[in-house]
Amino acid sequence: MDLLTHFWTWLCGFFVITPAWMTAGAWLAAGLTIFLFSFLYKDNPFFKAAEHLYLGAGMGWLLQVSFYSVLVPKVWEPLMKHEWLVLVPSLLGLSLLTQFIPKISWISRYGFTFLMGYGAGLAIPVGLSTDFISQISGTVQPLSMMASMTPWMIFNAFLVAFGVICVLFYFFFSVEHKGHMQKVSNIGIYFLMIYFGAAFGNTVMARFSLLYGRFDQLYTFSSSKYLYATQFIVIGMVVYFAIHAFFTRGGKEPEAAR
Amino acid sequence: MLKEKLQKFFKIDRRWIFLLLAVMLFIPIMKPLGLPNKTISRDVQHSFDFMDKVPAGSFVLFSLDYDPSTRPELHPQAIAMIRHAFKKNLRVGVVTYIAGSTGLIAEIFEKVPKEYSKVYGKDYVVFPYMANPVAVMTQMASDMYGIYNKDEAGADARSLPVMQGIKNYKDMALVVEITGTAMLDYWVAYVGDKYHIPVIGGVTGISQPGYGPYLQRGQLKGLLGGMKGAAEYESLVKVPGKGTSGIDSLNLGHLLVLALISISNIILLIIKYL
Repeated sequence: MDLLTHFWTWLCGFFVITPAWMTAGAWLAAGLTIFLFSFLYKDNPFFKAAEHLYLGAGMGWLLQVSFYSVLVPKVWEPLMKHEWLVLVPSLLGLSLLTQFIPKISWISRYGFTFLMGYGAGLAIPVGLSTDFISQISGTVQPLSMMASMTPWMIFNAFLVAFGVICVLFYFFFSVEHKGHMQKVSNIGIYFLMIYFGAAFGNTVMARFSLLYGRFDQLYTFSSSKYLYATQFIVIGMVVYFAIHAFFTRGGKEPEAAR
Repeated sequence: MLKEKLQKFFKIDRRWIFLLLAVMLFIPIMKPLGLPNKTISRDVQHSFDFMDKVPAGSFVLFSLDYDPSTRPELHPQAIAMIRHAFKKNLRVGVVTYIAGSTGLIAEIFEKVPKEYSKVYGKDYVVFPYMANPVAVMTQMASDMYGIYNKDEAGADARSLPVMQGIKNYKDMALVVEITGTAMLDYWVAYVGDKYHIPVIGGVTGISQPGYGPYLQRGQLKGLLGGMKGAAEYESLVKVPGKGTSGIDSLNLGHLLVLALISISNIILLIIKYL
């Protein structure tokens, strides 16, 4: 027992965050980022290793958080206090796992039935109210308050209502889009294109923000405090690609990010 | 002859564009240009104004549901809004429904409360990760201790001074959801609309345009979109952070994209009409 206690104390001490661990973490983070970015140049084993590590680490993290934040406090601890009612949702949850055993997979239907009924009961009324009735009212209501609106607000209200009608026409397929119908649905396409344009512009900004985030970290890890992690790893990758190119001259090129 | 030369432009190895983009984004990180961020969007201003008017001592629930994949956009938003809440002496409660965000939440609360001399348990509390957000949100409407009977450290939540007088949504002044998922839709539908509690959102730039209808209808009191939203909120709180410092890079990146789109279109027009 003493040996176990000593080992546990040593293990806890080993993982206390020290500057050395911070530097190791910086090397790992910078390395994984550069390995993943290296795919933009050419597929390589470093990229594959980083990709698999990301999936594994992500699943590991999810598993431990779910275990300690959900399973232990919501199932294990109540059971230890003899709160047997917890067994009902636990068994329903466990029944979903029978999907993996074909012979008894029918048991999972009980869990799924509960999930379907519960989910539909919650989602349908709320969805109708929030995304349907409220939005219809939001489109029409401004038109009933024109007396208190400025000309610009009135224009906006009409524009929104007009846009909604045109887009709805575009998605109405029971009538052939000909003549006036086609004109209205074409205007609907323009409204949709404006939305897609705005969404694409925002997507570009979002992707640049993510890239900036990684570059910012790489710059942080390039300092002497982290033993120039970024520079060393970038140089290492360049050397790898140079050596690889030298030895595969004339051979088949590996898959590139082109 | 000119046509053939111009057509070569479209056969350029895209890796040169990646390299150019990397250089454009990296330069301002090494040497900040200090490009101004002068515009404050209406929805960010509304978010700030709403939070600013919440009386001191009120309870604000933060749902921080993002993981490292959206960190550069959403982490600065969360930090700026929590700073504002602490500055206004609001009580802060934090929940999360994304397992990957627990480490990021810990990172925020290791640093930000100290800036405002806030004490854990008295001024703020962090609750553990919970699965199945819709079920948790629904349960919290009647009695939040049915789900969150303990805080993240395992202490009895009811006994914490920060939770005094808080039982369900009726006792809260505001819900702030910062997420890279559809969780904001759930907060609007299952909590905001149903229990008439104001909701403010912080989302990635990609999802931002989709929330226009909720903003127009007043179902969302305000919205922060991407790193730009974070930068705007930081300038309103007057504490520049990662959002503000990223504006240089974003501006240069956008200029590059504009230049590439313009050049490509001009070349295409020349090829077509020459």
